[in-house]
Amino acid sequence: MRAVFSNVTEYFDSQRGRWLREQLAGILVAQLIVALLTAILAAAFQWLPIQHVTIVYLIPVIVATLRWGAIPAVFAGLSGIAAVAYFFYAPFFDMRVHSPAQIADILLFVTVATITGRIAVAVRKAKIRAQAESLRDALIGSVSHGLRTPLAAITGSASILAQSRAIEGDEHLSSLVHVIRDEADRLNGDIQNLLDATRISSEGLQPHMTWVDPEDLISGALASKRRALAERPVNLSIADDLPLAYIDATLIQSALSQVIENAIKYSPPGSPITIKAGQVGAMIRIDVSDKGVGVPNSELEKIFERFYRGSVHATNIPGSGLGLWIARALIDACGGRIRAVVPDHGPGTTFRIELPVKTQPAADENADE
Amino acid sequence: MNDSRPSVLIIDDDPQIRRFLRAGFDLEHFAVHEEPTGQGGLRAATLRRSDLIVVDLNLPDMDGSNIVERLRAWSTVPIIVLSVRASDEDKVKLLESGADDYVVKPFSMVELVARARAAIRRQTRTDHGEMIVKSGPLSIDLANRAVYLDEERVTLSPKEYRLLQVLAKHAGNVVTHNTLMKEVWGVRHLDNSHYLRILVRRLRGKIEKNPKRPQILVSELGVGYRLTNGNEAR
Repeated sequence: MRAVFSNVTEYFDSQRGRWLREQLAGILVAQLIVALLTAILAAAFQWLPIQHVTIVYLIPVIVATLRWGAIPAVFAGLSGIAAVAYFFYAPFFDMRVHSPAQIADILLFVTVATITGRIAVAVRKAKIRAQAESLRDALIGSVSHGLRTPLAAITGSASILAQSRAIEGDEHLSSLVHVIRDEADRLNGDIQNLLDATRISSEGLQPHMTWVDPEDLISGALASKRRALAERPVNLSIADDLPLAYIDATLIQSALSQVIENAIKYSPPGSPITIKAGQVGAMIRIDVSDKGVGVPNSELEKIFERFYRGSVHATNIPGSGLGLWIARALIDACGGRIRAVVPDHGPGTTFRIELPVKTQPAADENADE
Repeated sequence: MNDSRPSVLIIDDDPQIRRFLRAGFDLEHFAVHEEPTGQGGLRAATLRRSDLIVVDLNLPDMDGSNIVERLRAWSTVPIIVLSVRASDEDKVKLLESGADDYVVKPFSMVELVARARAAIRRQTRTDHGEMIVKSGPLSIDLANRAVYLDEERVTLSPKEYRLLQVLAKHAGNVVTHNTLMKEVWGVRHLDNSHYLRILVRRLRGKIEKNPKRPQILVSELGVGYRLTNGNEAR
């Protein structure tokens, strides 16, 4: 018996249990409000015999929906109808409903209660979401500020040390300073990924679309990875007269940076990175290829899943499994797509980004003036 | 203290950031003054001559953009903003309210000093009426409206020259898309941002060794364009 009892208390302390407890409390309070209203109406009935008091019973329905949700609201509605039928429809103190007017009244009540209930549910959900969102934004803001400020002090200090003559001349010391800077950079990248991932999964992305020169996307992404690319030959081949893309420049540039970083990470040091851009059909295609060991056919799609790490590298190269998932979300948001393909010849992986070519805007008629 | 040293006023609430900025600017031969608050910073800016102001965007007592606006009301002193997580809109707003440039934390001292020096040069050029701007192999003679690439005269269309001229006046610092649109096409064409993309492409074809990998006229996506000083790490 005691075991059962402790099981029950344990259940009530669990998350599901807490929910059940709240619902029960909601039903109880809704019933109390119905009882209270009935008592007041019954007292008023002595002087003002109105039969159609059903509208008053919308109050507990709305209160219950806003406070506890749908289930207590349904109970509130049912007991409201019961109270009306029993106390206020002639003949009194009889559950049965007699006149068509009363039936119409109850139907009307149910309709209005359903509609207001639905509105109240929407209001309640919006309220909860707004609370969660503001909490999350505050959290993201403080995480970002709280972690980035010390990181800025580390990166900044290391950058000064790296330049000082005393350290520049010493092989060991300068390599240590570079470790500090590179690891601080990596940490900063991880923080950015976490922030991006939160942004994507919680609020969705709202791209700010403008006309962008794809050449700027590529040189911007290369510039953002210039230190990681320092020891790498970059083969760049961009078609002439590439059309402008109608995209969010910042989103696509960070996606492209992710893909380039990925290529650097999973290919041997010193091996070349190739970036090819051109128009293929109605798409602007940007191919980023590396000379790594490549991705098995079975994993070409999976590597874009959140937290998925390729089987070949999961153990020997650190990573969060977020990068490509983020890149895909950013590109999808702008109406483009990304996939991994096996290159035509040689080892490695090609990441293929495709952005739709929109009807190009009218050119400046007076461009030569 | 040597009077010829340029002076920098640093407004940032984080003591560690101030510490490395002080060290960094000191090594670059700046005279450094620090203020931890916005109010203190504004006061210090009026009380002492500064050749450069470096201000953090998120100060506990004041918004950095507010400080920029208030400084710009009476001063043309070069201002560089430090920001942690500014959106493109924030950056554009800062630049259009008068900041010369921004760097996003974490940044390297080299980057900040390059931006700062460019902004200071902008100021000295105006003060001394200097009319020649150099960016790597490119040289722009603002007085004679002539552009030279490796000593060779480059022929530019009037709009190409106008674009280059605006960028040259702020050489080394970013100029927003809107500012460029206004200066080259006027306010009526602010929506036609693609004019700018196409003009930039044409201009690059004339002044860049490899227009596909620009070194002189670089893009700050979502914000604007920058004429580099040629030797900047990029």
